Amino acid sequence: MHLSRPGHASRPKIDTVSFQPKKNTVLVSHGRPPWYGENGERITDAFVVGIAGGSGSGKTHVARQIVRSLGSIPSVVILSQDSFYKHHTDEELALAHASAFDFDHPDSIDMPMFAACLSDLKECKQSNIPVYSFTTHQRLEEPKYLYGAAIIIAEGIMALQDPGLRELYDLKLFVQCDSDLMLARRIKRDVEERGRSVEGILEQYLRYVKPAYDNYVLPSQRHADIIVPGSNNTVAIDLICTHIRRKLQDRSTHFRPKMAVPHLYTSPSGTTIPESTLEDLNLTILPQTRQLKGIFTILRSEKSTRQDFIFFVDRLSTLLMEFALQYLPYAPKTVITPTEAAFTGQVMSAKYVCGVSILRSGGALERGFRRVLNDVPMGSLLVQSHTSDGEPLMLHVMLPVCIRKRHMAEEAWVFLLDAQIGTGAAAFMAIRILLDHGVKPQHIIFVTFLVARGGGVSILRRAFPDVKIVTAGVDDVMREGWIAGLKGEGIEGQRQVWAMLPGLGQIGDRYYL
Amino acid sequence: MADVPVPPPQPATNQSQMNPLPPSVFTLPQTAQLEALYTIIRSKETSRGDFLFYSDRIIRLLVEEGLNHLPVVKKVVETPTGATYEGVGFEGKICGVSILRAGEAMEAGLREVCRSVRIGKILIQRDEETALPKLFYSKFPQDIASRYVLLLDPMLATGGSAMKAVEVLIEHGVPEDRIIFINLIASPEGLRTFCTKYPQLKVITGWIDLGLNEKAYIIPGLGDFGERRYCE
Repeated sequence: MHLSRPGHASRPKIDTVSFQPKKNTVLVSHGRPPWYGENGERITDAFVVGIAGGSGSGKTHVARQIVRSLGSIPSVVILSQDSFYKHHTDEELALAHASAFDFDHPDSIDMPMFAACLSDLKECKQSNIPVYSFTTHQRLEEPKYLYGAAIIIAEGIMALQDPGLRELYDLKLFVQCDSDLMLARRIKRDVEERGRSVEGILEQYLRYVKPAYDNYVLPSQRHADIIVPGSNNTVAIDLICTHIRRKLQDRSTHFRPKMAVPHLYTSPSGTTIPESTLEDLNLTILPQTRQLKGIFTILRSEKSTRQDFIFFVDRLSTLLMEFALQYLPYAPKTVITPTEAAFTGQVMSAKYVCGVSILRSGGALERGFRRVLNDVPMGSLLVQSHTSDGEPLMLHVMLPVCIRKRHMAEEAWVFLLDAQIGTGAAAFMAIRILLDHGVKPQHIIFVTFLVARGGGVSILRRAFPDVKIVTAGVDDVMREGWIAGLKGEGIEGQRQVWAMLPGLGQIGDRYYL
Repeated sequence: MADVPVPPPQPATNQSQMNPLPPSVFTLPQTAQLEALYTIIRSKETSRGDFLFYSDRIIRLLVEEGLNHLPVVKKVVETPTGATYEGVGFEGKICGVSILRAGEAMEAGLREVCRSVRIGKILIQRDEETALPKLFYSKFPQDIASRYVLLLDPMLATGGSAMKAVEVLIEHGVPEDRIIFINLIASPEGLRTFCTKYPQLKVITGWIDLGLNEKAYIIPGLGDFGERRYCE
């Protein structure tokens, strides 16, 4: 268990078996349902559990048991206090290498940073948590990027120590264990896994571990909501999980049917939302030329061959990206031509530009994207509809570095690519993900082939008025339909879908399959 | 918010040297992005890789604009959702003809927009004795007379070789109004001469520059297109 914690300090040599266990773990299971409402604002925080307890009490075990017994849950992050050891000065470093640095003292932990990272994650923002090397006793240059957890478990001996941290927890646990049992586990672990002498272990225990436990760790248990036994704790974990599940249930939200065809539904006040006009939607539409109409005719025809479909999708995406690029910022620039004449033109002035495609069908725009932007990073998001209720689920997030880092994201311009905006559920989630990262809404340019005027775009527009939506065409109708589901999932083995009319069919299928 | 930013000097637009345009001449929509593309390919500091990439982007836009002058016919199709869509179908066969050697640089862009389009070639050089453009070589698809022709030459300077090329095409039976001449940069004098001689022929040009220097290079221009594309 606590392979990495201060025990290493009294190791005779640093270069013995030294590896960092995977205490920070990101577990993804069934995708993350929406964490925001129809107005685009976040409606739930991530659920944060703090687990404290002595070294060897079984905190990591409890955390893992909770994750296991929650079963079908969205993504979980286990955040270890070990990540937040302070950046050490040269003197501290010398002490550490001489096994004379007290790693069990609260001051060794960068509590404000721990709280800041946890707070960002709780607010569903990204966090770049430090990575601590137990080999060099130093914080590494490159932090680890975390985003998108619905449940965060923060564990560490000092997890309940800091009032700033305590404020962030929705549930505070203390793992209670006999001192002799903890010591027994510690000796067993350090001897077996690190090849250390019992004498050395005991010396360190008496010098640092025990005083820290008595002075700081044990008193912090009065802050706990629940005291969990350090062994034979199945019942306790079961109770905890029931509690967490109920809390998550309260927070879950279902709003997709309403998004899909908003004018068919009534608002809480009883009035019907009128169908949006094109002006309301504030779409930026590619000039409707003869060639564009011809391209659309080929793409819409079900008789078109696969080769034709792919070729004209690529051609259209290129046109669309060229058109979308004019919405980046530009600044004047004068250059000298090979004829030695001056020319005052423009230069694109955005600090960072990147693309993010919503898989799978956003991939159909990537060829065109690459034809006009060959040297910018390209991220992807996988958002899938839940088979039974059609709710969007965030399954995979792979964003460019310029979005992962918040200070860069605030300067970044992002082309968000998806083949069409029908229900708008995936687009909605993708925009929310970018905003969570600190991207400015007016820096998001959504590029798509087709928008359904009567579909979810009106809610998307209302929630995110500043996002630019660039489309090659607009269809009028969204129609409800049912297609055969998988293995009897959903209602009567069918799955609800929303089709655009006249539409292009399933672009992802036609482009890839 | 106290200091109001000084407005930047207004750069020339792509048709400020010739306004109004002759009725047969078309340019691309003037956007900051288009200016940025031209700023890159004009700069003598630009690497060959960037020159290739950004000139290809302009060429694609020009070809797309050129294709919009081809006729279409009404066509109704059924979509995979079972709905009908009243669209249009492309009408008439096309082919490209590039004026060697710089014109060849535009072929890749053409083929990205018009898949496996046939491409004829024509070599015209200055006759050292007469100082007039002379046809050295031409190879066209056999049925060129029944096709719309996209004539490709990146720079329209004096217009001499372009007019010679059109002359050759007309000799091969292509009607003047079925030729679309596509170039990246034109000089006002060259364009005027060309359009006076062939008023039916549509010209798609990305930018109309100041004029020609004593060596008949377009100013500010971008130097020798073929040289920068292939040799430098």
